[in-house]
Amino acid sequence: MERLIRTLTTLSPLKILPLLLPISFLIIVGFIWVPELLDNAYIDTFKIGFIGILLEALPFVLAGALLSSLLRVFIPDEMISRWIPRQALPAILFACLLGIIFPVCECGMIPLVRRLIHKGMPVYVAIVFILSGPILNPVVYGATLTAFRNHSELAYARMGLAFAVACIIGLIIYATVKKSPIRLSVQRETDNTHHNNSRGGKLAAVFVHTSDEFFEMGKYLIIGCLLTAGIQTFMVQDSLAAIGDKPLGSYFFMMGLAFVLSLCSTSDAFVASTFVHSFPAGALLAFMVFGPMLDFKNSLMLLSLFKTKFALYLFFLIFSSVFIGAVLMSIWL
Amino acid sequence: MNDSRSIRFHYLLRAVILLAFALYIGHLVQQDALHYYVAPKLARWVQLCPIPLTLMALSLAIQALFGKGSVLCDCEHRLPHSIFKSTALYGLFLFPLLLGFALPDRALGSMAASKKGISFSSLPSETNNAVRFESIDPYHEELTELAKILYAQPTIPVYSAIFSETLGAIDLYKQQFEGKEISVSGFLYRDDSEMPESAFAIGRFLVQCCTADATPFGMLVDSGKLKSLPTDTWIEVRGKLQVVQYKGQEMMQIRAEAITPIAQPTTPYIYTSADSITAWKALQITANPTK
Repeated sequence: MERLIRTLTTLSPLKILPLLLPISFLIIVGFIWVPELLDNAYIDTFKIGFIGILLEALPFVLAGALLSSLLRVFIPDEMISRWIPRQALPAILFACLLGIIFPVCECGMIPLVRRLIHKGMPVYVAIVFILSGPILNPVVYGATLTAFRNHSELAYARMGLAFAVACIIGLIIYATVKKSPIRLSVQRETDNTHHNNSRGGKLAAVFVHTSDEFFEMGKYLIIGCLLTAGIQTFMVQDSLAAIGDKPLGSYFFMMGLAFVLSLCSTSDAFVASTFVHSFPAGALLAFMVFGPMLDFKNSLMLLSLFKTKFALYLFFLIFSSVFIGAVLMSIWL
Repeated sequence: MNDSRSIRFHYLLRAVILLAFALYIGHLVQQDALHYYVAPKLARWVQLCPIPLTLMALSLAIQALFGKGSVLCDCEHRLPHSIFKSTALYGLFLFPLLLGFALPDRALGSMAASKKGISFSSLPSETNNAVRFESIDPYHEELTELAKILYAQPTIPVYSAIFSETLGAIDLYKQQFEGKEISVSGFLYRDDSEMPESAFAIGRFLVQCCTADATPFGMLVDSGKLKSLPTDTWIEVRGKLQVVQYKGQEMMQIRAEAITPIAQPTTPYIYTSADSITAWKALQITANPTK
């Protein structure tokens, strides 16, 4: 026990943050909802939600981790940096189009991008890819069009706004951030080639790295799923909808909802379409652009990759530009 | 930096966890329980996950058991150092497995429906349908086509495969469908605050991707003098359609003539159909093979 306390006190607050979150959540749940928790329906709903999101994200996380370790083992560093244009503007456009080739959901994005940055991708290009990849791809476009069969202009607006927001944030970061914002612990990863002499050759090395990535990202994914399932189980959606009555309140409400629900970008359009009666089109647009760019699970992942200050700066940029963009777009919708 | 013995230990533990995840997915597939959590189009991908998971587990196990000590190194991805952090990390990964294996697989019920708010109509209410069976855009066209077919039926059957489309078509042409016979099955949902004892809703969960985006979808039922059943019972309702005012909006309601409890269907959720007309025709062929 003494040892445990000593370990706890020596840890820096940031390191135990990922652990404190679920613990504090469980404590809150424990105190407020103990009587309700004894009711089996809550446990069932929680389990269905939790396992559902986890299983949904699993193929994407595995694909991202596998792709990232394939890149690490087989693609030499120079190759990636040769592909990326030197000038800022063409590089940003290139990153926007990358999502069409790699239709990876946001959960698979972070391990892939981490590897790409190591291979020499500039940070602002990586950010543009993180932001645009989950939205600007054919799968999401198709899903949005199906969900809004009566309002196809919303699907075009979603693609357009995501493109604009990603480009603008890319330019801002290109202009303002000069020092590397990557966390020191991530930077320290040296690219020495000892993996070549591990047992089972290159293929085994790929899978060992895949599992390293999987455990690295998996903890944020599971914490995110726990929080999301908890919110879905205990939050009554109608009770919050009252905020939506004020003109700009609906934007804040929908963006907050997108953040806490942490839906996959291929399915969030269907959820948005159920709000078509109660909210203006601009708020739905904000929901569909903000959610894939920033939500519970991927903000934890971003915090693990970037320095806290830069990550918060990035969150602020995403929030403000999606909000302004959606309000402006609502004039045409 | 961890020494090579503790790295071996971590690798073995991780191999076991990965294998357990692969087994859990295999178990869900074998029990035919995967559809309780994800939609069929995504289930295909989830079913493939055990392959990379097993390969990862095998590679880790080989490294742990036969890898040379000098090769094992955690300089790239730091492994947790203290016992406390290791326990927290692996505990986190074991939690979903524990939850998955310990609790039975069940479908979402009316508790979740009351949190999400059940929806009774799939279309914006501003569309005006005074004109008989005329449509404005492709999706409306499809529903109009379906509405024409449904209107010709003596009793409208609501098939699971085109559940949301059928209710959507009826909702689009409320006036025309008033008085028609219908037969629906779903779970019984009661919104205790708003409805009297005899009135409830019959619903299904519409799942697009996974249970996180499940939206309850249903129709109002007026059971009249029929004996009431407990919430969450799976029932089949037969009765006549009528237009009523509910929370200030026009809604379709079934005046029930018969309510029969049924067993929960093997696929409790409903999914959207890409082409409801083709789906309807296919269902007709399977329903009446002699024709």
